[in-house]
Amino acid sequence: MDDGSDSKRREKIMDDIVKLLTESLDISPVDLKASTNLVEDLAIDSMQLYEFVIDLEESYNIRLPDELLEQIVTIDDIVNLVMKLTSE
Amino acid sequence: MQDKEERMSAALVRIFENVLLTEELSLSQGYFSDLSIAEMHTLTAIGPYEAKTMTNTAAILGITTGTLTVAIDRLVKKGYVERRRDDKDRRVVRISLTRNGKLACRMHGKFHKVLAKRILEAYDSSEQDMLLTLVEDIDKYMASSVTKYEDKNNTESIRKTAAAVAKDKRRRKEDG
Repeated sequence: MDDGSDSKRREKIMDDIVKLLTESLDISPVDLKASTNLVEDLAIDSMQLYEFVIDLEESYNIRLPDELLEQIVTIDDIVNLVMKLTSE
Repeated sequence: MQDKEERMSAALVRIFENVLLTEELSLSQGYFSDLSIAEMHTLTAIGPYEAKTMTNTAAILGITTGTLTVAIDRLVKKGYVERRRDDKDRRVVRISLTRNGKLACRMHGKFHKVLAKRILEAYDSSEQDMLLTLVEDIDKYMASSVTKYEDKNNTESIRKTAAAVAKDKRRRKEDG
């Protein structure tokens, strides 16, 4: 896959994540950047995180068990993880 | 030696009762207070991913498919489980978790992980390894004891008794 389609994929995943997070946390999309920290910036709790994760799993037909979630700090980490899991 | 045996025996019983009690209390005070511990364990046996058969799930829980059917009826009514016929073999019924069921299952998994984390974090890495070896040895010994005594006809009622012990302990605590 070339760099152009990779960056398009990344953009699409970022858009989907922003959409899911704004819906489940009831916040404005402008508050969300790649560097946004889920716990420190968004104060996301376990319940909200799992709601988001379950929707993300269904949207992309992937599995995000706790072992993988432990590596996630920022929105960019989620984008990278989804990129990796959908290209496997 | 006598004293050590007594301490070991008392600690084992207390751990068993208190783990169940902590689970029950955390459930009754949390987001999923309409679920019993047995129901939560049924959701965990189904798991958040692919649909399972009734036979498979009953085997994981150590109960009969008849008992599981009653439990699943209730969980369907409460909106945590859905039933559907297998696409390839219409005689087979598959059960899976709804979005709410997945949420409950994952939150409960988190509860168990946090419990283990809190116990382990009091020790350094080599102590943790030692503790895990000892606990896993006890686990293996208890599993072999169950096999020795197991009688297919009464395993289910014994498991029910275990759940009743936790309930009774909670009642006693509430009564002061």
